[in-house]
Amino acid sequence: MADKLDSQTISLGPIGPALLKIGVIVGIIGLAAAFMGSYTTELKSERFYLSYLVNFAFYLSLSIGALFFILTQHIGRAGWSVVVRRVAEAFAANVALMFVLFGVIFIGMGEIYSWTDPDRLAHDTILQGKEPYLNTPFFLVRILIYFGVWILLTQYFLKGSVGQDSSKDPKKTEKMQMVSAPGIPITALTVTFASFDLLMSRDPHWFSTIFGVYYFAGSFLAFFSLMAIFFCVIQSKGLLKDAITVEHYHDIGKYMFGFTVFWAYIAFSQFMLIWYGNIPEETVWYIRRFEGGWETASYFLLVGHFIIPFIVLINRFVKRIPALLATIAFWILLVHWFDLYWIVMPESLKGHVGISWIDIACFIGMGGLYLAGFAFFMGDKALIPQGDPRLEESLHFKNA
Amino acid sequence: MATTAVQEIDNTSNDASRRPTLITGDLDFKGITETVCGVAEAPSAPKIWYYLMAISVLALMNLFAMIGYLITVGTGVWGLNNPVGWGWAIVNFVFWVGIGHAGTLISAILFLFRQKWRTSINRFAEAMTIFAVMCAGLFPGIHVGRVWVVYWMFPIPNYLNMWPQFRSPLLWDVFAVSTYATVSILFWYVGMIPDLATFRDRAKDKIRKFAYGILSLGWRGSSRHWSNYEWSYLLLAALATPLVLSVHSIVSFDFAVSQLPGWHTTIFPPYFVAGAIFSGFAMVITLAIPARKMFHLENIITIRHLDIMNRIILATGSMVGYAYIIEFFIAWYSGNAYETFAFINRAYGPYWWAYWTMFTCNVIIPQVFWIKKFRTSPMLMFIISIFVNIGMWFERFVITITSLSRDFLPANWGYYTPTFVDVLTFVGSFGLFLTLFLLFCRFLPIVAMAEVKAILPEAHAHHHEEDH
Repeated sequence: MADKLDSQTISLGPIGPALLKIGVIVGIIGLAAAFMGSYTTELKSERFYLSYLVNFAFYLSLSIGALFFILTQHIGRAGWSVVVRRVAEAFAANVALMFVLFGVIFIGMGEIYSWTDPDRLAHDTILQGKEPYLNTPFFLVRILIYFGVWILLTQYFLKGSVGQDSSKDPKKTEKMQMVSAPGIPITALTVTFASFDLLMSRDPHWFSTIFGVYYFAGSFLAFFSLMAIFFCVIQSKGLLKDAITVEHYHDIGKYMFGFTVFWAYIAFSQFMLIWYGNIPEETVWYIRRFEGGWETASYFLLVGHFIIPFIVLINRFVKRIPALLATIAFWILLVHWFDLYWIVMPESLKGHVGISWIDIACFIGMGGLYLAGFAFFMGDKALIPQGDPRLEESLHFKNA
Repeated sequence: MATTAVQEIDNTSNDASRRPTLITGDLDFKGITETVCGVAEAPSAPKIWYYLMAISVLALMNLFAMIGYLITVGTGVWGLNNPVGWGWAIVNFVFWVGIGHAGTLISAILFLFRQKWRTSINRFAEAMTIFAVMCAGLFPGIHVGRVWVVYWMFPIPNYLNMWPQFRSPLLWDVFAVSTYATVSILFWYVGMIPDLATFRDRAKDKIRKFAYGILSLGWRGSSRHWSNYEWSYLLLAALATPLVLSVHSIVSFDFAVSQLPGWHTTIFPPYFVAGAIFSGFAMVITLAIPARKMFHLENIITIRHLDIMNRIILATGSMVGYAYIIEFFIAWYSGNAYETFAFINRAYGPYWWAYWTMFTCNVIIPQVFWIKKFRTSPMLMFIISIFVNIGMWFERFVITITSLSRDFLPANWGYYTPTFVDVLTFVGSFGLFLTLFLLFCRFLPIVAMAEVKAILPEAHAHHHEEDH
């Protein structure tokens, strides 16, 4: 048993380098095609940058979700999740790649964020009031702070956990638990302001205090969905087969269910309060999303992001059949992507939803780079934290 | 009670290589039964219990007097006037509903999260929840002015063909709070049945035998009983979980659906829920520290339990702090002059003292829980929990009063001062709360014995394998 377990968890094996190579190629082709293709559209390169922002927010949310997952598991001294944590650590470390990918947003900032436009600023008194916050240098400083914090934290947890593989030192776990405590408020604040900056400021007049929680809810949900898919695929390649059991899928599924409801709760709170208050400066954001084709898109989010996953995931058997769980997880990732598209696009694509092949190419391209980044950070590291003192507990974990 | 004072044992361990023990003092199954049943079976309660009971009943009588006065004279006896039409009654309502959140969170959500430590504290936290919800329900009930038609709050078909306003969150509150009260009572009672049967089986006199016999619903402890019991417990936990979030979300709607600056903001629902859990846990600490001392439960409600609760207080207190910061930031960022003013006014206006009391008690003081000494010393955590209780009352005061007292038109501004009736009614609600809680401690199983036994090492098959 032990030998078998070792051979399944020792590393990604040949999958790693293959993923790295294919990922980079797909990434370059996908993003280049999307960029060039955008010139065939009405919005020209703006179309590309917007699509890029949607996908950037999407893949960033996966890493953010992974970081929150690591932090919460450490602070709760969780036993069940030890076997799935290494993969989370590598996905979280991918924020470093996202930092590199931010470069394109920096280049396209002028087309993405209308508050960068000096002409608009000159005539817009509300914007002038916000200028101390919404200006390019301070924006970049903030981005540096966010990514700096995230890279430090994710590298700390990845390195600490990998170091423990050989040292088997339980003290390291105690240390990581200690770091996770301040890690949570720091991450919460940086993610909130990052969501304000990257997404909410697309409409620089609009504001919503819950926006950061909304982005967090989607991120956490998306990361659990990613795990369900990832483990299902990797087990079909013969890896982690005995380490991750149906019991772990069940718990991942429970989290997916819980955060499906949590997302809906937050989305409802935001929508209902703005709708009920009916103050023009707030409703403007939703009105844009209830006009033209966007109306259907908004109702689709209600059904696709909440009702369907809710009905499917409430069943026990779905959570205990990996292939089924991975299927609904894939659906959740798609609607989560669409949720971000729905947040970013209506300010520019008024009156029509207009998902085009550019978005798909961008999605696949950045996805290729994201998986390559994962393979890079995973390297030849073990697939489970071999030195974690609670590994045994996790391997033998059962849902009572 | 025969038991002498119990030594405090520090069972908080950071050692990641093994799970620390939850129950100390070598208590076995029998020891737990003896300790918990001893509280209710002792011929007389500890002396201090009688003193506390006397004070509580006095406060309760005062509550009745104040309500009587209010009903005979009218709501004019409160400090309500234009522009502040919602005063202490609503503040107290939200305060008590908030406190009534810890019990169900501990019993339902922590149950779903497999948190074994919940077993020592869930019973009396649930009891506290129910009593707090009763206190909460009191205030809107007496606020309506014509108390004799208070049943009009419910949508009852009537000859006037008159219905409550379904679009009003105050009506949603009626549904939310009454649902919550019903499910909490059911959950509490169902969980208590096996322990009530233990009381019945140990009862010496006829009255006790009869009373506990009725309450334990013919529990015989057969495996079929246990199987049904565990299913109903799981289902009730699943049903109660969304209620933990929904009740205070809907309470927050009372404010947030309006257009009043300081009330209308989208983060209110989760922010209120975090605040509710925060205040609820603080009240659990406030009650647990004296109760475990009075009834010698230090080996069941251990330092480790208290340590974990204090961590939750720290976490939820920080969430409330997060909400304060984001609200303040967005008030500025919105560019809305009224919104910005509402927040500046809170911090530096005529109610600055309330704002800074709130901020200090809720955000700054709980930060001492980063230090282990504060999390594990009963005396220190008791003091801090009192601060949190004060802070959370002031939070509701700040939200309700500051926004109402200065709205859009300066000509409408005013300053609200409570009357002695306001103050004494609030004091009286503590009388109701503590009287019920003290009665509960004396006559019902204060700790979920059956659940605590299930987490002892003896309850697991491996334990014996290791022994032999």
